[in-house]
Amino acid sequence: MNDAIVSIQSITKKYKGALQPAINALSLQIPAGSVFGLLGPNGAGKSTLVMMLCGLMSPDSGSIRLLGMDTQENGTDIRRRIGVATQEIALFPMLTATENLRYFGEMYGLPERAINQKIALYLDEFDLAEKANKRVHSFSGGMKRRLNLIAALLHDPTLLILDEPTAGVDVQSRNILLEFLMSLKNKNITIIYSSHFLEEAEKICNRMAIIDEGKLVTEGVPAELVGEQQDCATLESLFLKLTGKHIRD
Amino acid sequence: MKIIATIKKEALLLIRDPGGLALIFLMPLGLVIVMALIQDAPFRDYQETKLEVVFVDNDKDSLGSKIKSAFLQSPNIQFISQKDSNAARSVVRSGKYKAAIIVPAGASRSLRIKNKQLIARIFANLGYPGPSTDSTEIPIPGIEVVFDPAIKVNYKQAIGNAVEKVVANVQSEWIVDQLQNQLGGTNSPKAKMKVDFSNVIQVRQQYASKNINEKFVLNSVQHNVPAWTMFAMFFILFPLAGNFIKEREEGSMLRLRLISGSEFPVMTGKFLFYFGVCLLQFVLMILVGIFVMPLLGLPQLALGNNIAGILVTACSVAMAATGYGLLIAVFFKTPQQALSFGSISVVILAAVGGVWVPVYVMPEILQHISRLSPLNWGLESFNNLFLRDAPTLAILPDVLKLIAFAMITLLISIYIHKSRTIS
Repeated sequence: MNDAIVSIQSITKKYKGALQPAINALSLQIPAGSVFGLLGPNGAGKSTLVMMLCGLMSPDSGSIRLLGMDTQENGTDIRRRIGVATQEIALFPMLTATENLRYFGEMYGLPERAINQKIALYLDEFDLAEKANKRVHSFSGGMKRRLNLIAALLHDPTLLILDEPTAGVDVQSRNILLEFLMSLKNKNITIIYSSHFLEEAEKICNRMAIIDEGKLVTEGVPAELVGEQQDCATLESLFLKLTGKHIRD
Repeated sequence: MKIIATIKKEALLLIRDPGGLALIFLMPLGLVIVMALIQDAPFRDYQETKLEVVFVDNDKDSLGSKIKSAFLQSPNIQFISQKDSNAARSVVRSGKYKAAIIVPAGASRSLRIKNKQLIARIFANLGYPGPSTDSTEIPIPGIEVVFDPAIKVNYKQAIGNAVEKVVANVQSEWIVDQLQNQLGGTNSPKAKMKVDFSNVIQVRQQYASKNINEKFVLNSVQHNVPAWTMFAMFFILFPLAGNFIKEREEGSMLRLRLISGSEFPVMTGKFLFYFGVCLLQFVLMILVGIFVMPLLGLPQLALGNNIAGILVTACSVAMAATGYGLLIAVFFKTPQQALSFGSISVVILAAVGGVWVPVYVMPEILQHISRLSPLNWGLESFNNLFLRDAPTLAILPDVLKLIAFAMITLLISIYIHKSRTIS
């Protein structure tokens, strides 16, 4: 795949004291401009992979190239061009929405005018304008998630990595988030979307990979993946078939 | 720009944390005032403490009167007259009074006879006719000084020495009187010269530093204000480490780690902000020492004459305290670990460094160990400035140690923080 924005070559990562590697000889190509779903049960290795994509963790072996650069050698340059909405709400609860966004904008080195414009634009787009001057600790789970996503978008990233962006949010907030993500498809932003929610992934992703026990199980266009399996009518049935029905903790 | 943004963010977080503000400003103020009040009496010591002493004069003669008048002149002794020796011993034993001086009956008479015998022996030895006296050795009834077992050793020594000094003076005066009587005759006015032994050799007491007056001696305020101010400054680790680890747990630190080149501005911004808070604490505590302590009946804090030196020391202590706080913040993973270790370590550094009691009263081994505590470096520097009126050059070694400590802790903190970005 020549236009891959992410190229993962046989990476392995084993945590200290763990019996099995969290990521085991995994290779994956993510095309530029795609909304790429990263699916898997609990403990499959999704968050470890996301951390390695962000450059916050290095693989024991193998290599990851993002935007044509090696994550271990060019972590600083890569982080400048990626936006990450982590599974945790990475905000300051005692600051207001505006204060949070202003601080992160300043840390990205954005000019004040651009920061003001983006804050106004995104707060309005995510229906948070009225809460601009409220402290984040008073926000609902959905509001925090939306603000968390805005913080990842402030510096116009080329690649957006979202780890469980809709966890714990209500239907309305989820709807706003998904609509916004779908709108990004037209803006040439690549999105890596890690989630438990298969329906969401099916709705917005044009490619996806299922990983389990640190290995790549399958990868491709969602409809084609489902169609390839004769006894699977839905993505969920495909997922269960490939990863098993036993409970993961 | 990024550093200023971090300073602004830290300021907002602190302003919105009433508990943190109280911990940084109100608790140290209370601590300084309480400690200064508590330690006022021990610091005033014998020279400034009013001690009640029971006095029993069974002599009813010159010696008893001389002892009484000598002690009455002392501003630190209050005499409680008592007639019964046993009752006097009893009230001291019970702890009601700290000491009793019992002058036995016939003490003056015995001393006079003893002196007369002494003169007679001297004259006889030189071949001159001496005063007629009975050469029989007479027992001298001793002056009894009874102490409460709980009395401080230096009080005990001071009272005992004072009694011995009065007796020695009286004896000297009487020997000279006897000599004059013997040589000049009791009727000769020339022979009645009064000799004042107190002026034979003058002992002039003064402090070694120039431009220092009584205001600058080590007292409770002079010790406690700089000492507990530094203690409070080192406790900056509470809000610093607390907020830092909270940010790590809540995830906001993760977002900052995801922003390229944020490690240095984040750490520097935090360092500068809390450095400023430490300086604010210092100014506040100094103002309390100058303006509030006198209102509580305590001495006013005297700063000495080297204001530039004080600022340099305050800045270096603030740097050291902030650096230490940052190191604790990045090193430990949970607030419980950081705050437990941080608080205990600061208490130990303070105790060893001479914050609670001056280093010179510590055992020798602790006095050596105390030189390893940054709080001791700061305290020594402040003592040099406040009490010894030292020039900036004299405080430079301690200031440089504080700055080196700050730089080392800051660099280690940045290194640990950065190394945790990629694991």
